Amino acid sequence: MNAHDTSFHGRMDDGIEPGKALLHVDNISLSFGGVKAITDVSFDVLKGEVRAIIGPNGAGKTSMLNVINGFYHPQEGSITFRGEKRAKMKPYQAASSGISRTFQNVALFHGMSTLDNIMAGRTLKMNKNFFWQMWRYGPALQEEIEHRKVVEEIIEFLEIETIRKEPVGTLPYGLQKRVELGRALAAEPDLLLLDEPMAGMNLEEKEDMSRFIIEVNQQYGTTIALIEHDMGVVMDLADRVMVLDYGKKIGDGLPEEVQANQDVIDAYLGVSH
Amino acid sequence: MELLRQIFIEPFETMIALPDLLLQTLWEGFVSGTLYSLIALGFVLIFKASGVFNFAQGIMVVFAALALVGIHALGVPAYIAVLLTLGVMALLAFTIVRVVLKPLVNQPEIILFMSTIGITFILIAGGQLIFGGEPKAMITTELGLPTGSSDWEVGGGIVIFQHIDIAAALIAALLIAGLALFFNKTKTGRALRAVADDHQAALSVGISLEYIWVVVWFAAGVVALTAGILWAAKSDVSFALQVVALKALPVLVLGGFTSIPGAIVGGLIIGFGEKLFDLYWGSPILGGGTESWFAFIIALIFLLYRPEGLFGEKLIERI
Repeated sequence: MNAHDTSFHGRMDDGIEPGKALLHVDNISLSFGGVKAITDVSFDVLKGEVRAIIGPNGAGKTSMLNVINGFYHPQEGSITFRGEKRAKMKPYQAASSGISRTFQNVALFHGMSTLDNIMAGRTLKMNKNFFWQMWRYGPALQEEIEHRKVVEEIIEFLEIETIRKEPVGTLPYGLQKRVELGRALAAEPDLLLLDEPMAGMNLEEKEDMSRFIIEVNQQYGTTIALIEHDMGVVMDLADRVMVLDYGKKIGDGLPEEVQANQDVIDAYLGVSH
Repeated sequence: MELLRQIFIEPFETMIALPDLLLQTLWEGFVSGTLYSLIALGFVLIFKASGVFNFAQGIMVVFAALALVGIHALGVPAYIAVLLTLGVMALLAFTIVRVVLKPLVNQPEIILFMSTIGITFILIAGGQLIFGGEPKAMITTELGLPTGSSDWEVGGGIVIFQHIDIAAALIAALLIAGLALFFNKTKTGRALRAVADDHQAALSVGISLEYIWVVVWFAAGVVALTAGILWAAKSDVSFALQVVALKALPVLVLGGFTSIPGAIVGGLIIGFGEKLFDLYWGSPILGGGTESWFAFIIALIFLLYRPEGLFGEKLIERI
């Protein structure tokens, strides 16, 4: 996709064939002072799949997402995304190479409207310079209009037309999560990281969110890595599941394999270590 | 009884008896109010984007004015000197972000605040070293700012409008409106508000904190230069000017540290308030000189009863 094409494609063209690894995480170890958050974990995410990361509280799931999108820098190991290998990534690099994410505790821009939040998600797609923006004229105005159209598409896709202008701080939790998904989608990511997308939702909201995740995956071919606690959701949505416990990988495979894995059952039932 | 009369009756009698005096006072209050607003805006921009209370804002006003006069003294035409000074402020913004803020990222706010005190001293010393410490005249006429005054006859008296005051109010108002629009309507403005709301989320959508910081520090530099020119046109360019920036503190307390409209309204309230109070209450009852402290008393009252200011975000701790 060239820089002047502002229509919504759902994702960038990453040049990786479906079924091949889009992301490779190799031997990652991460510690904070003396606390080991992740110990020597490797896994991959194949293009086009929905990959779930599960595990008990404190297992290092969110830390793993933070490593992938560059918030945390692991002491050991490397990450290969779209064929590019990096020891550490900066959040800006991660975002510009096609990784976007949502957060466990909804990290929206609370003072801004739904529209502005999703527009902010298109930051990297907008490249008219400061000079034009200053006068809000010419190319910059044109650009605003084009990107606004894309944002409207996303709003329609997520069925949040009615809250377009509402400040997101006032929205119910379930809708905030949906706006956050919208902001992540606005970047047209190759890899979408979702940190507990259904946390704190009621059954109906969970069903809606599952539907959106499946549609994003199927309609745009976006690769998704998600953390989730609701095993029902994970078994329904995920193509493959990785299990972390105390920062170590204890299981990896198809949902039914993982479900039958004795280590995983022990971890969830809390067998002493 | 006499005191009550002085407080509740006499001032209003004077206002009605001498409408020209009232109008003159209101006008002067408006002019200084717009300048307070402008300086307060410099603080608000930086505070919103980086959570730093920029102690150096006052000295930035002096530094910008000194740089302008200094560059002009080298024989550079006035308008080119303004452009070069803007360049100096951009360089300053870039240097501060690179050398001071970036290495201190994720440090507690008090550390960042302390670092701006450090910047203040560096700018004072640097300014004296490069431009010398003695007061200088602002290049008012060279910049095409008007001099002289117009009179307006009202109710048997006259109200005097200094032309420089009219220009100052106009320029300050235009700059404030321009900045407010820029930060509300453009992509960079949206990014600024995003950074103000949530650093991590802003990073995750690919907003560069460093870029936003340079933009706001530069904007604060532009504000400082404008305030420096307009204020120094009425007195002269000296390090005493930074005291003016102290007046922005009560404005911020009044308007809220994170609110652009708050800075504007707060500045006007302080501007009108201190002039009116001094003339009608301060001078007759307390013997004058109230202008220098009136704003701080108002700020104190606000801190006691409404610490978030008129427009600031209410601080609610979630349990």
